[in-house]
Amino acid sequence: MANEAAKTHPWHVPEPSPWPIIGTIAGFIMAVGGIWFMHDGPIYLFGVGVLILIYTFYGWWRQVVLEANTAGAHSEQVKIGLRYGFIFFIVSEIMFFFAFFWAFFHSSLPILNNVAQAWPPEGIELIPASGVPLLNTLILLSSSATVTVAHHAILDDNRSKAIMWTWITAILGAVFLFFQAEEYIDATFKLSDGIYPSTFYLATGFHGFHVFVGTCFLAVCAMRLQKGHFKPDHHIGFEAAAWYWHFVDVVWIFLFVNVYIWGSSSFGHVAAG
Amino acid sequence: MSETAHADAHEHHDHRPTGWKRWVYSTNHKDIGTMYLALAMIGAIVGTAASMAIRVELHEPGVQFITDFQFYNVLVTAHGFIMVFFVVMPALIGGFGNWFIPLMIGTPDMAFPRMNNISFWLLPAALILLVIAGLIDGGPGTGWTVYPPLANADFHPGMAVDFGILSLHLAGASSILGAINFITTIVNMRAPGMTFHRMPLFIWAMLLTAILLLLAIPVLAGALTMLLTDRNFDTAFFSPAGGGDPLLWQHLFWFFGHPEVYIMIIPAFGVISEIVSTFSKKPIFGYLGMAYAMAAIGVVGFIVWAHHMYTVGFNVETRAYFTLATMVIAVPTGVKIFSWLATMWGGSIKFDTPMLFAMGFIFLFVVGGVTGVTLANAGADQAFHDTYFVVAHFHYVLSVAAIFAMYAGFYYWIGKMSGKQYPEGMARLQFWVTFIGVNILFFPQHFAGMAGMPRRIPDYPDAYAGWNMISSWGAYITAVGAILFFVVLWKTLTSKETVAANQWGTGANTLEWTVASPAPFHTHEQTPAIGTQPAAIGTQPAE
Amino acid sequence: MQNSRRIILGYNSGVAFLITAFAAFMASGANAAEPIPWQMNFQPAATPVMEKIIDFHNLLLTIQVGIVVLVLGLMLYIIIKFNSKSNPEPSKTTHNTPLEVIWTVIPIVILIVLAVPSMKLLFFMDKAPNPEMTLKITGHQWYWSYQYPDNGDFEFDSNIIPDDEIKPGQRRLLEVDNQVVLPVNTEIRLLMTSEDVIHNWAIPAFGVKMDTVPGRTNESWIKVTKPGTYYGQCSELCGVNHGFMPVAVKVVSKDEFKKWAAEAKKEFAKAKNTPVKVVKMKSPAQAQLR
Repeated sequence: MANEAAKTHPWHVPEPSPWPIIGTIAGFIMAVGGIWFMHDGPIYLFGVGVLILIYTFYGWWRQVVLEANTAGAHSEQVKIGLRYGFIFFIVSEIMFFFAFFWAFFHSSLPILNNVAQAWPPEGIELIPASGVPLLNTLILLSSSATVTVAHHAILDDNRSKAIMWTWITAILGAVFLFFQAEEYIDATFKLSDGIYPSTFYLATGFHGFHVFVGTCFLAVCAMRLQKGHFKPDHHIGFEAAAWYWHFVDVVWIFLFVNVYIWGSSSFGHVAAG
Repeated sequence: MSETAHADAHEHHDHRPTGWKRWVYSTNHKDIGTMYLALAMIGAIVGTAASMAIRVELHEPGVQFITDFQFYNVLVTAHGFIMVFFVVMPALIGGFGNWFIPLMIGTPDMAFPRMNNISFWLLPAALILLVIAGLIDGGPGTGWTVYPPLANADFHPGMAVDFGILSLHLAGASSILGAINFITTIVNMRAPGMTFHRMPLFIWAMLLTAILLLLAIPVLAGALTMLLTDRNFDTAFFSPAGGGDPLLWQHLFWFFGHPEVYIMIIPAFGVISEIVSTFSKKPIFGYLGMAYAMAAIGVVGFIVWAHHMYTVGFNVETRAYFTLATMVIAVPTGVKIFSWLATMWGGSIKFDTPMLFAMGFIFLFVVGGVTGVTLANAGADQAFHDTYFVVAHFHYVLSVAAIFAMYAGFYYWIGKMSGKQYPEGMARLQFWVTFIGVNILFFPQHFAGMAGMPRRIPDYPDAYAGWNMISSWGAYITAVGAILFFVVLWKTLTSKETVAANQWGTGANTLEWTVASPAPFHTHEQTPAIGTQPAAIGTQPAE
Repeated sequence: MQNSRRIILGYNSGVAFLITAFAAFMASGANAAEPIPWQMNFQPAATPVMEKIIDFHNLLLTIQVGIVVLVLGLMLYIIIKFNSKSNPEPSKTTHNTPLEVIWTVIPIVILIVLAVPSMKLLFFMDKAPNPEMTLKITGHQWYWSYQYPDNGDFEFDSNIIPDDEIKPGQRRLLEVDNQVVLPVNTEIRLLMTSEDVIHNWAIPAFGVKMDTVPGRTNESWIKVTKPGTYYGQCSELCGVNHGFMPVAVKVVSKDEFKKWAAEAKKEFAKAKNTPVKVVKMKSPAQAQLR
């Protein structure tokens, strides 16, 4: 009616959607199930929450992909908004890691905690930075390059090349995770062995989880590429995945330099006086 | 007018959902805003009930009715959490922000309407978790600051603190998603012509609040995660036995916590700025100064956190730095107060209820603000820290001032939201009852605090009886004011008296007053042109 | 529990709040080392640190009352002069750069005026210049223990006297079984730590308030100038009985202190072998959460 003609704005106001409330239910069940599990209950309730959450992600983002492939929904202005939104999301993620870096530096620097304590603490058998961590650094750095190659391929409308390089990036992410798992298995210290393992496992563990999420994101992008979703001027999903991947990469560089190299060097001992 | 007619036509045929799906599946900023306001009211009832129980217990020395002191601590904790996360934030940010950001910047909805909905629904889920926390295993008797080791598994072994942590995780996720939505909307979706320097101050306030949320909440999430693993997976972040440090928690918590208090008060600044300008029939005085004063408060808010920790045993240089940094905040705050006064100066002021609350806000915020300067000094703080003086200070600036801004915003905008006229006489009565009540409630706490009465105690030495009794009576009067508010709300919603699109007249020149009252389900379907109208509707005057 | 109240609640100050703030500022305060009914100001200072805090706060309060009165006065003037009846035509002024500069610069000047004495106070209170003895304080859920390393290194616990054992004339919630005894006019270094959660050892009349943090030793100092008994309370939420672990310090002459220390050394050496006394508070939750 007159209505459609009257709409002069470029914005996308989606239909009412069941996904937000389903996602909320997933979060609630995960919270209750997680607490139950932590207090010696079974884990299945938490698992149910995770499954519903995955279902929410699938359903919600499937809807977003459908809209992206529909003419008119994602106008140029809406695309700018999507980019902004994703950048702000990454900013919040950076602040999340900020907390874990703060914990690391607070625990390792006597100037911050005012307690003369050796770092790394006595009795911790360190993971040499020159081994698996260095290898993983090279893997992640090269994956940053490969994702850029894929991005340029999309811009050049070279689909097969883009598909190949996106898959290569995702595989590099998976290889990184494999080595990190091996590093955890080989480590001689347990999570409960004091402050060093606490900061080490939580910081690198959350980073590893983000690599996992980024790998999944890239794999989805690779599949969407195969379905022909992305055009040289229409590939917000891929851009977001690439930005996320660079973010994960930068966090790793900070982890590598601070936690693996500096945090296990003799410098810590000297500073402890 | 044409927009009104069009919107009416629109309402009849379009995909406006009905029944429960309209609310549960909502992608409409107005419906979501309304749900936020309703949740804030529910939260306010629960949070006020907790504070009333506290004041009844403290009415006289000795045990009144709370024989379980853990329960008293749980009340203190619940009151803090609920008022912060489930009253002030949902009302000022989720409620007014959702309703009026799209209306004031001339856009049909928020940037991510579905994400907007999950931002809302996570909050009731978080509130349920918090209520469960209070009911099981003795509840979290930690205060809203949740300091370990008291919050560790050794001293709170049950599930209560875990439920509290997960509640905050969900509320935090809600806030982060909301912040992303708000920033994107304001940065990307302003109508053409509305430059940053022409946005209404309420929009500035919302933008800055959202930025603070985006930067502060994830740090809390990280800290809460560490506390969760300390409690359940034997990590040692905050445990000295494992080489950790309880002060790490305090740093992380207050790095979030101090911006958090600005997250609560900056939206109030925005609401008050709109109201003062409207009722004075003058544009805001020193618009740019006002906007950048808020920005300055937000920035400085991130580098003053340790003034909450003056007695933890810092070296003197640290305390000196945080003293000086904290005192700086008084400068932009002063700019705001004096600019409001200058806006009113020379105005033609109508003292309707929103303006009464706005003026009450300004005065009470000054009273609470000057005691903030006292507490900023690490030296003086050694006498005030953890006494009722601090309680009086932060209730003046947060409880009283933020809640006055909520009441002010409600009376200012209820015509736009419901299309109904609130009963002016009863509303003014509600203002006076509340104004008198909160002052009787909180002013004597300064005296009790100076005399040495510590916070968070269920019983006090008999010498403090006098001021506590007065304070409790003030609480009862304030509660009467709150009940009156609900009566006013009921009268308004059942009223037959409707309001015009612009009920406040020439002073109200922001865009929400150009659409019909009540605002139609969809607004600004045609992008309004900014700055082309003779009166430059919807904007501040160009600088 | 009501029988121990000794307060006449009928007394009413009957003064408006802002004026009472002034009165509080002007009042010299009562001669007691404990809070008194309807007190509006600090407890009288018993240490140089608290004297300086009070001096500094007097400066702060003067400026603050001035600011509040200024704002209130401006608002009253606005209400009278600029309501819609007396001023139907609003002015169009939205800028006045000199004015904006003034209200930015004057607060800065005020803050500088405040910062100087603030810093002096802070650096003065930080560390004892020449400590003559040390008192070690340890917080526990929910009592304090004290150790005198320079006077024979004896140690004792200090528990609250519960309401049902309070004798007439004693102060409910402030009295303890073993008071800390300290010499007058002596610079005493306080070293504080905690065995369990964070507590806070505070005595208002001394201007001392310091967290006792497990795993850390915090330092503060006092030099009490007047003999007497001084009271304080734990000032950091520490669990169920946070409100029931008072601090009571008896300050005596140096000679009396020497005598007391000699006796205390013998007494508490014996007491060490007897089991720790656990005070029962009313809260049933105490045992559960201990």
